[in-house]
Amino acid sequence: MISRRDFLQQVSGAMVAAAASYPLLSWAADNAEVVVPGKEGMIVRSARFLDLEMPPEFADSWITPVHHFFVRNHMHEPSTLDANSWRLNIGGEVEKPLILSLADLAKLEPHSVTNTLECAGNGRGFQQPNVPGVQWGKGAVGTGRFTGPRLRDLLQRAGVKSTGKHVMFRGLDEIPGKVPAFIRSIPVEKATDSDTLVATHMNGAPLTRHHGFPARCLVPGWIGAASCKWLTEIKVLDKEFEGNFMKPAYRMPNQPIAPGGQVNPDDTHAVTGLNVKSIIAGPADGPLLKSKAVHIHGAAWAGEADVVRVEISTDSGATWQPAQLSKEQTHYAWRLWNYDWKAPKAGDYTLMSRATDSQGRTQPQSADWNPSGYLYNAIDQVKIHVAA
Amino acid sequence: MSQRDSFQNFLARQCVWTIAVFTLLSVLQLWSQSPELPPGPVQGKIRTACLECHDSRIIVQQRLNKAAWTKEVDKMIKWGAVVDAADRDAFIDYLSSNFPSDKPAEPMSRTSSPKKRDHP
Ligand code: HEC
Repeated sequence: MISRRDFLQQVSGAMVAAAASYPLLSWAADNAEVVVPGKEGMIVRSARFLDLEMPPEFADSWITPVHHFFVRNHMHEPSTLDANSWRLNIGGEVEKPLILSLADLAKLEPHSVTNTLECAGNGRGFQQPNVPGVQWGKGAVGTGRFTGPRLRDLLQRAGVKSTGKHVMFRGLDEIPGKVPAFIRSIPVEKATDSDTLVATHMNGAPLTRHHGFPARCLVPGWIGAASCKWLTEIKVLDKEFEGNFMKPAYRMPNQPIAPGGQVNPDDTHAVTGLNVKSIIAGPADGPLLKSKAVHIHGAAWAGEADVVRVEISTDSGATWQPAQLSKEQTHYAWRLWNYDWKAPKAGDYTLMSRATDSQGRTQPQSADWNPSGYLYNAIDQVKIHVAA
Repeated sequence: MSQRDSFQNFLARQCVWTIAVFTLLSVLQLWSQSPELPPGPVQGKIRTACLECHDSRIIVQQRLNKAAWTKEVDKMIKWGAVVDAADRDAFIDYLSSNFPSDKPAEPMSRTSSPKKRDHP
């Protein structure tokens, strides 16, 4: 008869094998259940590479818990990440190139920024005519509290030369085939902003693997792609980085273009700050509501600007009433809002939300079309039916 | 039966459960490989060429016209997809007829909770 200890060892062996097969399940089986430990109830836009969208009903919390935070990967996540052997190389147009360990980062003064991170392609699925790319709905967005040393402090130690104009980031993403590496750059002015971080923590805990462990950039108010995950190299350049993910990817036409139109790649600029935008977290789109009292709520954000107003329409956009903005408020973070409404009678209603920011930008009726579907920010809407 | 025996029986049942569930899932996994890729003359070739780097979700969720599908296939070939030159047009035909711009959006599933599986 096997001893209890042997038996327990066998059981734990089976558990380890079972645990190891989790990622495999999501790898090969496209239709099988997708289990991503640490991520629950997320819309699976892609299992391999992992692209997970937050369902809009979770936009009801000022800080998005990590298990509901969207995940956007352009390629495979690093297969091994070891905090002890991880190093950050800083070079290029600097006086003194540096190689830093995680312990070195921990010695620098930490700074925290509560930031709404949104993928540039959030809402791409609503663009008409359709454009290629991950067909995100409303939820490639979330708000996290990111902590780590300021990028400015690292750059100061390295000493940026006067020739340094852009700061390039490279992560440890694993590149399949001949796919270009995920490398992008931001202007030195933004890199040295006092709120731009090399974050090691998110919501008070070390970054998880899906969010860039052990360190990532946090470029507040800008598209998610600027905030490079699994950061391993920072290079100061004398001009904007030229590579696939700076051009042709992540660019907007300089002039508005007709939906479906062509763009001259030389008449474009890199996508940087986020648009003004709001989404309705509840009620959900579609259901039959039993009560005439409807609690309409959601979140609104504006990148580097501040949300000053959210308005609600319950009559398909004919009239608008101000929503109440929640107290929690910091620069770069979304504002939660709510509006209590009593349906005058049973029937179908289209509820809409429209945000306005401190730069005077207001969500448009229809978003500017562009060939990659970036920065979609049309007025949000849900259709409901109130029962008699 | 002693307490210890019943504990071992409990563990044995758990172990059998775990193995059974995972065997079943791996069988399901084999059956359901890329089920969303609809049948067609190049279905097998698309599976081989196009699911090497990513799964089929990123393909089946697109709603594009033939010109846009042509650009996608050429971009993927440039990025390393192995497509026989003689098959390129058939790939584009397959993709643009199965995932055209006027087809309703693809329903996407949600991640399920690992807890549910650990404690059935
Ligand atoms: C060598 C690896 C590789 C192979 C093989 C490959 N792809 Fe891709 N594919 C990628 C990467 C990487 C992305 C994601 C790019 C991103 O997210 O920016 C992608 C994304 C896509 C997208 C989303 C739209 C876009 O351009 O981002 C579609 C559609 C697609 N692939 C179709 C295909 C088809 C069809 C094939 C087979 C002909 C194929 N892929 C083979 C690497 C590959």
